[in-house]
Amino acid sequence: MASEHLPSEFDVVILGTGLVESVVAAACSRVGQRVLHLDRRSYYAGKWASFTLNGLLSWIDEQNTTLASEEQSKDWSALLEEGEDLIGLSTRDVSPVTNLQVFNYTRSPCLLVARSPCLLVARSPCLLVARSPCLLVARSPCLLVARSPCLLVARYQLLRECFCFSEEEVEEEEVEEEVEEEGQDQTPARETEQEEKRRKRLSYAELLKEGRRFNIDLVSKLLYSRGALIDLLIKSNVSRYAEFKNVTRILTCRHGNIEQVPCSRSDVFSSRLLSVVEKRMLMRFLTSCLDQDTPLLYQDFAQRPYLEFLQHHKLSENLQHFLLHSISMATPDTPTATALTATRHFLQCLGRYGNTPFLFPLYGLGEIPQCFCRMCAVFGGIYCLRHSVQAVVVDKSSNRCKAVIDSQGQRISCSHVVLEEGCFTQNATPTRWVSRAVLITDGSVLPSEAEQQVSIVTIPSESPVRLVELCPSSMTCIPGTHLVHLTCQSLGSAFQDLSPVVTRLFQTADSDHHDQRPGVLWCFYFNMSEGLGSEVSELPSNLFVCPGPDGSLGHDHAIAQAELIFQKILPDEDFCPPAPNPEDVLYPGEEPGTGPSHQGEEPQTSPSHQGEEPETSPSPQGEEPQTSPTHQGEEPETSPSHQGEEPETSPSLQGAEPETSPSLQGAEPETSPSHQGKEPETSPSLQGEEPETSPSLQGAEPEKIPVQPENGTQG
Amino acid sequence: MAGGSVSECKEYLFKVLVIGELGVGKTSIIKRYVHQLFSQHYRATIGVDFALKVINWDSKTLVRLQLWDIAGQERFGNMTRVYYKEAVGAFVVFDVTRGSTFEAVSKWKHDLDSKVKLANGSPIPSVLLANKCDQKKDTSNSTSLMDNFCRETGFLGWFETSAKDNINVDEASRFLVENILANDKGLPYEETNGDRIKLHQETVAAESKSGCC
Repeated sequence: MASEHLPSEFDVVILGTGLVESVVAAACSRVGQRVLHLDRRSYYAGKWASFTLNGLLSWIDEQNTTLASEEQSKDWSALLEEGEDLIGLSTRDVSPVTNLQVFNYTRSPCLLVARSPCLLVARSPCLLVARSPCLLVARSPCLLVARSPCLLVARYQLLRECFCFSEEEVEEEEVEEEVEEEGQDQTPARETEQEEKRRKRLSYAELLKEGRRFNIDLVSKLLYSRGALIDLLIKSNVSRYAEFKNVTRILTCRHGNIEQVPCSRSDVFSSRLLSVVEKRMLMRFLTSCLDQDTPLLYQDFAQRPYLEFLQHHKLSENLQHFLLHSISMATPDTPTATALTATRHFLQCLGRYGNTPFLFPLYGLGEIPQCFCRMCAVFGGIYCLRHSVQAVVVDKSSNRCKAVIDSQGQRISCSHVVLEEGCFTQNATPTRWVSRAVLITDGSVLPSEAEQQVSIVTIPSESPVRLVELCPSSMTCIPGTHLVHLTCQSLGSAFQDLSPVVTRLFQTADSDHHDQRPGVLWCFYFNMSEGLGSEVSELPSNLFVCPGPDGSLGHDHAIAQAELIFQKILPDEDFCPPAPNPEDVLYPGEEPGTGPSHQGEEPQTSPSHQGEEPETSPSPQGEEPQTSPTHQGEEPETSPSHQGEEPETSPSLQGAEPETSPSLQGAEPETSPSHQGKEPETSPSLQGEEPETSPSLQGAEPEKIPVQPENGTQG
Repeated sequence: MAGGSVSECKEYLFKVLVIGELGVGKTSIIKRYVHQLFSQHYRATIGVDFALKVINWDSKTLVRLQLWDIAGQERFGNMTRVYYKEAVGAFVVFDVTRGSTFEAVSKWKHDLDSKVKLANGSPIPSVLLANKCDQKKDTSNSTSLMDNFCRETGFLGWFETSAKDNINVDEASRFLVENILANDKGLPYEETNGDRIKLHQETVAAESKSGCC
């Protein structure tokens, strides 16, 4: 809150709060570096951010307007000393988001204030206040207040019932009766009536009213349960700030239908899509993929397309589709070696937390960078949003950064500088783009008895589309809706790439099918750059640039980059050692054995009291700085407190595991009842993984705070 | 987990935020309350996330209170969502000896209300703490003024506290927890949290297999 000046000296100054920057910040702060972490934006996580619906709408506005504002760089030479030079940084995002398009399909009367170009298809009386070019397709009487050129398309009779107040030209267009529209209006089959009733529940106003309960990610990714990010979260204890949901289904789109992909053993045997022969074939194939000796089998194919390899194995078309598109998530011409590596990773991730390989963080992906930021702050990192670095001061002779000039013109000295990508305006040009769409829908693409499903759908196409559908219990959307993310490598604009898929899988105003498919209430297309070309060739040796999000599904690249940068900054330090658990922090003056907190854990020990102990009457403690947490052991205290903690959380984790077995056993009695549906005899690696999860919960706890090797201080 | 009578004992876990300007005594209050400690020496809080206080509320209720300190380093007012999310109560602290810290209270309260809400959309219960009352010089009776202020800014109430002399810290906490419990009635905590996953540290042995990516 206070607008005091920042300290003028740090070890590491980091600009940008995306995932890579935040991991580096946490890692540095954790080992005692003084970290200043800035972001020029008003929110955390940069391109990794998640927004409420209202937040996203303002963000879209900003993207459309900020391009205009260009700050001229100021002259900071007065702050320079002899032998120093300046590298100016861009003050705005040069890795832009483009082709933003918003579509609103809510059918109830609505008031839409459009500040960005948009298309409104109105089937109920609407009021559209447009400040940007808009297209209003009116099927009901509407009022359009336009401050920008707009196009109003209305059916013949309706045009007379529509009113325009405009400050700019508005084109009005009459459209003769659209036959199909009429057809739709005249078929009040019972089904569609029910549909209508269901869909009428949410209007745009209601979406906006509940807007804060949406958490809409700019980037759509999942966490591989054995990927680098999960490992890092666990290792560093940053995981304490996050909770996850299993992705519960892997789906694919085939012959226009959504089908569930059998991937774990239990799925395979319970799948109705596969014949018995196919089931065996698939299991044999998957098992052999996990075999370390597989390379021998595919040597001839290593660089040849994976599809050829699958055909060579005489797998049925069904299986080829699942293996290629959903399990390896490859394209038909992906080299076999690459596809098999992906397949193996997929299989190894099964069963750790559930029967798909993926987890999704509650409240959205934007939580993850913030978790690392919190860890950084807890260890002393200073945070400042809406604050930037204008220039980097470089020592000419050594070509090393000495300081930065912040957005208030303050010189802050530091020994390392870490920047988000796109800070150098000169020659940063996006090389690859990702096409994205975000939809708020009113139902699942594959309704099922269990309502709260998180699904990933692979949709084969020239540029394969990945669809992630989130349910309300993922805390990203409100009850009655699903939040859908579509992602693909860009061939054209996001709308060109993805709208055909959207029209095929969902009902929009443009769809010509009127069946049970979920309707789209609101949708947003945009393109986001994926990695920038080489920015500046000769960077100072202590300046590092972090990559932004890539188009891949996992986070391994980002985490590897963060670790690499950390190792360059602090070659001799441990990367993200476990942070102590709050209950284990020992304050000076507290006697480990009689520490007050341990009784509180067990109700019976201190029945009368508010959990706190009279006996540890405050000795005139505290002369020592209380800060440095001596967080080892204090055995007597840790164990009870852990026991207290665990039961809340473990059931969910353990609960996830057994789930898989019943279906397996029910489906195919021949399979050995070994849990989690892995082949016992042939895939020892899969097997080996299982036991380690559950026992670890209890077993690992007591020894999980070996943060500092100063044993026995508590004695 | 509560001995034999598990079925009868209800357990709650409440996340409570402690916010306010730099140096008003947030950490001292937490340490006084949880660890029965007080230190004259001020240090920005490092390495401590939250403190856990377990309260045997009554014979049937066990309350675990997680008191989240703002890392002193987040003093520029830019806390992460991680800090706010799923909090069910808050203390906003100011220092009676420094007027400026009181002036910042409404900013903090506003920030709090904009960042976190209860499931039903209403603001989370919050209590104002006038800390360091042991050092208060003027004894002018401002009770009604403070009552008014609380009403206007949406605090449930306020307490004059001293972490140093252990004045009113327990009382303030009891007052807040009462309100949280009242709010919590019938909240489907378990129901929605059933399939959530927390990651845990595991025995990292046999981890060699995950090397393929």
